[in-house]
Amino acid sequence: MDNQVKSYEVRSLTSTDVRFERIGDTLAMTLNDGGCAVYYPWVVVRSCFPVSDDKVFLSVRDATAEEQDEIGIIDDWTTLRETDREAIAAELGLHYFVPQITGVMNVKEEFGFLYWTVGTNKGPKEFVMRDSVVHYTREIGPGHYLIIDVNQARYEIPDVGALDAHSQKLVRLSLRL
Amino acid sequence: MKQHHRPVPAPDSTEPPQSVLQMLQKDGSQPDRVRLAVKSDLNPEARFGEQWLLIDDEHLRVMERHNGSANLRYKFALDKIQDAKVERCVGNGLLQVTVDKQPHVLLHYSNELIGRFGRVAHYLHERAEIGPDAPIPAPDADTRRCLVCGRQLMDQTSKVCPNCIQRGNIMKRLLGLARPFWGKIGMIILLLSAGVLVDLLPPYLTRILIDDVLRAGAREDLLLWLVGGLLGIQIARVIITIISNRLTLNVSIRFTSGIRDQLFSHLKKLSVDYYDKNQIGRLMTRINQDTSELQGLVSQMTTFALNIMLVIGIGAVLFTMSPSLGLYVLIPTPLVITAAFFYYRYMRPHFERFWVARWRLNATLNTFLSGVRVVKAFAQEDQEEQRYQQRNRKMLESRLQVDLAWSKFFPLVSFAFGAGGLIIWYAGGQAVLADKITLGTLMAFLSYLGMFYGPLSNLTHISQTLNQFLTISQRVFEMLDEEPPKEVAVPVLKPQIGGRIEFDHVTFGYDPYYPVIRDLTLTIEPGEMIGVVGHSGAGKTTLVNLITRFYDVTSGSIRIDGVDVRDLSMDQVRKQIGMVLQTPFLFLGTIADNVAYGKPDATRQEIIRATKAANAHDFITRLPEGYDTIVGEGGAGLSGGERQRISIARAILHDPRILILDEATSSVDTEAERQIQEALSSLVKGRTTIAIAHRLSTLYNADRIIVLNHGKLEEQGTPRTLMENKGAFYNLVQLQTQLARLDGVPTL
Repeated sequence: MDNQVKSYEVRSLTSTDVRFERIGDTLAMTLNDGGCAVYYPWVVVRSCFPVSDDKVFLSVRDATAEEQDEIGIIDDWTTLRETDREAIAAELGLHYFVPQITGVMNVKEEFGFLYWTVGTNKGPKEFVMRDSVVHYTREIGPGHYLIIDVNQARYEIPDVGALDAHSQKLVRLSLRL
Repeated sequence: MKQHHRPVPAPDSTEPPQSVLQMLQKDGSQPDRVRLAVKSDLNPEARFGEQWLLIDDEHLRVMERHNGSANLRYKFALDKIQDAKVERCVGNGLLQVTVDKQPHVLLHYSNELIGRFGRVAHYLHERAEIGPDAPIPAPDADTRRCLVCGRQLMDQTSKVCPNCIQRGNIMKRLLGLARPFWGKIGMIILLLSAGVLVDLLPPYLTRILIDDVLRAGAREDLLLWLVGGLLGIQIARVIITIISNRLTLNVSIRFTSGIRDQLFSHLKKLSVDYYDKNQIGRLMTRINQDTSELQGLVSQMTTFALNIMLVIGIGAVLFTMSPSLGLYVLIPTPLVITAAFFYYRYMRPHFERFWVARWRLNATLNTFLSGVRVVKAFAQEDQEEQRYQQRNRKMLESRLQVDLAWSKFFPLVSFAFGAGGLIIWYAGGQAVLADKITLGTLMAFLSYLGMFYGPLSNLTHISQTLNQFLTISQRVFEMLDEEPPKEVAVPVLKPQIGGRIEFDHVTFGYDPYYPVIRDLTLTIEPGEMIGVVGHSGAGKTTLVNLITRFYDVTSGSIRIDGVDVRDLSMDQVRKQIGMVLQTPFLFLGTIADNVAYGKPDATRQEIIRATKAANAHDFITRLPEGYDTIVGEGGAGLSGGERQRISIARAILHDPRILILDEATSSVDTEAERQIQEALSSLVKGRTTIAIAHRLSTLYNADRIIVLNHGKLEEQGTPRTLMENKGAFYNLVQLQTQLARLDGVPTL
């Protein structure tokens, strides 16, 4: 059992410190630790602000450790090399599966549930949410919404105004905007 | 059965398509050797797609299917798989296996399929432990399905999918619940009918007045009688309205209050598991808001009944008086119905927006008032004001929208109503001029018309209201239909238990596929004091929740005095278990009531004795109202340590054979802790005690310490032995000592 007092310092990881690669469905990292290369065969990345800004403050954790200890934080992962960015984007895409709604074909209300038929950036989807806007939708910013369905899956509408007229009408009606 | 919309299908799970089977054959297996096939709805690029996991006698394969062809992504020999687990991500989950000590993520799946892949992981885990004899699961076995159509339920907390809610059955059940009020309901219907008849009379009398009285040389003697008759009718109408309103209110209030009682009485029987799955807020809404809404809807249904009678009654009178004019009445009817229909369609969203805005404004105010000390302490009054103003502006805007919409729409609706009158004026006027009808008939006609369109337009949203009524009733019934935990038919009676507790290979998970306690075997002797330690999430609280049977074990058994807890009477067992929790809960009532909560017939002397033992008597007597002090929800006005000592006094008075202390001293300061420790030392004497503690120093008096790690028993022994062994417990103590030094707290 780990009997060390954990450090409260944030360790920043920069593009010169790290190399990422995807091995199958997992992510591996090589860390330049004071001139010495440390290889982590399996790391996971967790966004500190997955809703408001998923580009910043990415916590890199050792997935092989029991408590998934944090190795460090990448302040802005868009500054990493392209190959690293691609590997991280793929990992984040799998961990944070939040489809963005690109069009709303139909919304039907029945017995306290809303049945949505939508197009998303991840493919077409039908889902069901409870018809309680105050509990199952979240306004992230102006025109930016998050919808939570009965399975606790999340769907994002980055900008209601950018949707086509029909979709906008349905979203505004259903989310009482 | 009526299909209202296409149900959202749960992705099919067990029939692999041809391309997947072909790939399987290509890889050396045969479709008839497949023992388990499950489909995921995500592809490796994190898009909605299709992946298949196939297990035959020897191998596990994962294939991706894209554009009609399949490609093999992973293949592992089953015998090489050492473990398997599922992990929750955001909006999806992943299935992971360990092969040659190396973890491999096999695939991701959306949240809808969490249960399905949980079962696959459970199977793979079991197969790794017991070999090929591990039972193959049905992938969608215990996923909750609609009781009527068998489809997987989108909302796991309901029993029947919205498609299958049978309106007739709900109405039948509601009528059943209303049985005690049938007499009154009959009276209401009679009164409504009488009211309709009374409403129909005045235009008839005005017709006589115009045609027979108000003409030169007519029967002037009738004037007084007719006016008197009109007055009598008005008085009768007022009396009927008062009585029927009172009766309706009486029925609706008593009916819903009865339902509320039934709900509460059912709620108290439900298991803790039910409360875990249903947020308190939602339950409150169901009991309070849904029943109030039901009450409003019952009244509204009466209005509908009245309107139906009015429309039929007036329609009949109009056609009897003048069939040709009656037909003219029908001309603007579609206009009125359309206008009314669009009114509800058009206005409803505006109202709903307004309600949401109002809810948000109230929530902001509520947060501010509840947290006013924090707001002031951090000097954030301005920010809070800004937040409130912003929400208030939103509400104002939505209210303006309602009024604006109304101001646009109302003239249109009025026009639709008025147009009907104009048509009758024109057609009726011509009929009067042609002497086909009298002036009195025309005037009566116009009066009836004024009474006709209102109820007609009201009836256009009957289906919407009825739907709302049935939705709420269904939600109420769902709660009433929730089954309480099962008790054995003939429980073993144990009026006085000894206190020996045995865990026999106990495994448990709140979700059966995520075990929190794993294969735990342990015996606690009567009168023994056991300290339970471990990291957060190690399963400490779960362990005690199993003893109290808040939950039932997934496998293995727990015995008290040699009898399986499932064979004991739950009520009897719980009466002999006392609990002191980290956050003491005080009910709204006096301190004396709170101490005597578990023994309402306790004498005052017993109460004082218990509080003295709990080190609480002194501070209670210093309070201006002593034992009669009212403590609210959470015990406002008392410190954390004081509240805790009251809850200890409650446990002492309850006099349990088994005592559970769950972090009883972790939320108080050192001095309060010392006082609580003293109180506890008198409580634990002679009882089997299980104490969970974060501060290890509080466990030095324990007869035995058990260390849990991820639900498994890692270590056990006396505190001294464990310190000497320098194992997990020693490490925890060391860690805490270092932290205490950092905090400047003296250590033991």
